Amino acid sequence: MSDMPNAEERSGDARSQRKSKPADPLPSALVDRDQVQARSNAQKRKSFDRMFFWLCVAIASLSVVVLVVLLVSIGFQGQSRLTSDLINNSHSELEPAKSGMWPSIIGSLLVCGISGLVALPLGIGTAIFLEEFKPANKLLRTLHGFIQLNIANLAGVPSIVFGLLGLTVFVYMFNVFGQIQVNRPSDWELFGVNHYYQVLSLEPGQTILVPQQDQSQTTIKISEPIEGIDNDGNPFQIEIWDRASGPKPADRETRLKTVKKGAVGGSYSKRSWYYFRLPFGKSFLAAGLTLGLVILPVIIIATQESLRAVSPSLREASLGLGATQWQTTRNISLPAALPGILTGAILALGRAIGEAAPVLVVLGAAIAKNRGPENLMDSVVTMPVLIFNWAGRPQDVYQQLAAAAIIVLLVVLLALNSVAIYVRHKVQSR
Amino acid sequence: MSARQNTPLPVALQKRNFRSTAASEFRERCVVAFLAMCGLTTVLITVCIVGMLVSQSWNFFQSEHVSFGEFLTGTEWTALQSQELENAKFGIWPLLSGTLRVTVIAMIIALPLGLITAIYLSEFASYRVRSILKPTLEIIAGIPTVVLGFFAILVISPSLQWFTAGAFDTFNATSAGIAVGILCLPMVTSLSEDAMRAVPSALRDAAYGLGSTPFETAVKVVVPAALSGIISAFLLAFSRAIGETMVVALAAGTRATATLDPREQSQTMTGFIVEMIKSENEYGTVQYFSLYAVAITLFVITFGMTLLGQLIRRRFQESYQ
Repeated sequence: MSDMPNAEERSGDARSQRKSKPADPLPSALVDRDQVQARSNAQKRKSFDRMFFWLCVAIASLSVVVLVVLLVSIGFQGQSRLTSDLINNSHSELEPAKSGMWPSIIGSLLVCGISGLVALPLGIGTAIFLEEFKPANKLLRTLHGFIQLNIANLAGVPSIVFGLLGLTVFVYMFNVFGQIQVNRPSDWELFGVNHYYQVLSLEPGQTILVPQQDQSQTTIKISEPIEGIDNDGNPFQIEIWDRASGPKPADRETRLKTVKKGAVGGSYSKRSWYYFRLPFGKSFLAAGLTLGLVILPVIIIATQESLRAVSPSLREASLGLGATQWQTTRNISLPAALPGILTGAILALGRAIGEAAPVLVVLGAAIAKNRGPENLMDSVVTMPVLIFNWAGRPQDVYQQLAAAAIIVLLVVLLALNSVAIYVRHKVQSR
Repeated sequence: MSARQNTPLPVALQKRNFRSTAASEFRERCVVAFLAMCGLTTVLITVCIVGMLVSQSWNFFQSEHVSFGEFLTGTEWTALQSQELENAKFGIWPLLSGTLRVTVIAMIIALPLGLITAIYLSEFASYRVRSILKPTLEIIAGIPTVVLGFFAILVISPSLQWFTAGAFDTFNATSAGIAVGILCLPMVTSLSEDAMRAVPSALRDAAYGLGSTPFETAVKVVVPAALSGIISAFLLAFSRAIGETMVVALAAGTRATATLDPREQSQTMTGFIVEMIKSENEYGTVQYFSLYAVAITLFVITFGMTLLGQLIRRRFQESYQ
């Protein structure tokens, strides 16, 4: 290919020479052009081209092969464990064969929800700021460029570094509030928690709650009637029964309100779902916030792309009618960009569901939990962490469980993606 | 004249309600301020990352058992193996070499395959083939990394051992590298394909007009024209492979070795971080803070890669009007 322009030049030269001296013969390069060699050269190039085409086809289909092998091998490994146990039960060290992943499904969805709640407003806001409010001012333009560069760099930060950020900032808060200790309430419990002592009543298996005044005192000994709290939160007087004073009261109602003299109660905390303390500790909220940071750049970039795709003439028309920049954004650009934003958001949430590394760093690799998180500060297990833990064990049963859990995870992701496609279709056709 | 007086004004004119311009201007300012706050939050996150890494790894380098020179040049890393701090060696090279082994293998797989797939998609593929290949790549891109790590220990590692009659360790750099390569492939493909599609078809037509074959057009015209985009895609894939965690935590092994042998175990930087977290070392020990020293190395490398990619894209991007 590279010698073609030369050939043309040469023939041009030849023509001009011929004009001046018509008697001269043509340059030898033109006269003796070896037709055979040229043809074989073309032949070679063509066959090389064909080979390249088939190489391309082979390599491109390799990705399909890889995907098929992956799905088939995991399906084959996991099919024996795809039972109702897998969905209903939780992880169990004693009975691996009956282990399941229910807490992790709930945990994953909730953590993912928190991350969406954090990252979506922040990400869409940033993208609007970058795309719709481009200032003329030179200083602000520099700020814009800087934020843009920063986002591109954030997108390249490994997710495990975000995990460490979450560990330092959310879990320990740089240790400003002191270490979290097991079985000791934090000093910075802000709301959503009540501390009680739990005392056995005379009715077997039933307990009475006594409000805790002093938090440093972990047990209480009841020797005189004090105020307790019943199941509905109403205060009542606790009766004392002494062995010396006679037989146990026969009436169930009375027995429920009576304790043995000298009964000892341990501390017990009742937490509402909005229980909040500082620092967050290895908690559901910390994990959600960290995942929010991980998906933030993804959401920003997707939103920017779809805002950029909105035709400028729409904006100009709106601005020309006297709308302000924000009115134009709210009424024109955002509705037009909505399908793209939604798709990007759902894909980012899918990423959040699949991310294991940041959650692992924030929460540790522990998976022994038999229910989903009950309050914001509760610990949580997510599906990828569970899979990581199971996949790292040598026993066959855990390998099969990991494969089965992967199938469930992929089904959840697939469901999420089909929601994305459906939403995009719905919004676009409107 | 009288008739005109009797006809009522149009509704639009009757119900004119004038809104205060000052109020709406104020609201506009509030919105802009809020959006700017959102933008500044992303900057704050970067500041937090850098601040956290620097301040926490400062604790590491402050320790009397650690020296900065040893960290940068040492060839032994025994943060988790040695119980006593005196015997622990903190030299980053085993982790770095582990990371590089995995990354290089991943790049050997992802870059050529990704580039050729991209050439195929943008130059040759018919509509029907595209409609199969593109979703396949999207699905691979959406597969959680922990799944690929499991795939590596379930399929790739045993088949490597089978092919070589057991020359590979159960956990080895190659199987992790192959899985990471599969992970990076869709990214290389889609970014390179975008860059190649941006090349105007006039260039292709010119090449065909001069008698080039499709191969020559693709390799000698389209790829050089899209080179800046392709290189920045390569760099992105590279930094993604360096930062990849779950695959290497599962499949690469846990022994930090400073060799070049791809058949051996190789602990990567990210793999060490996971191992450290799993070991539940207590907060505040030197071993714990070594986590941050490793993380800052990782961050500096990936950050440099991303910056370089952007520089190349901006400096060398060819724009066609």
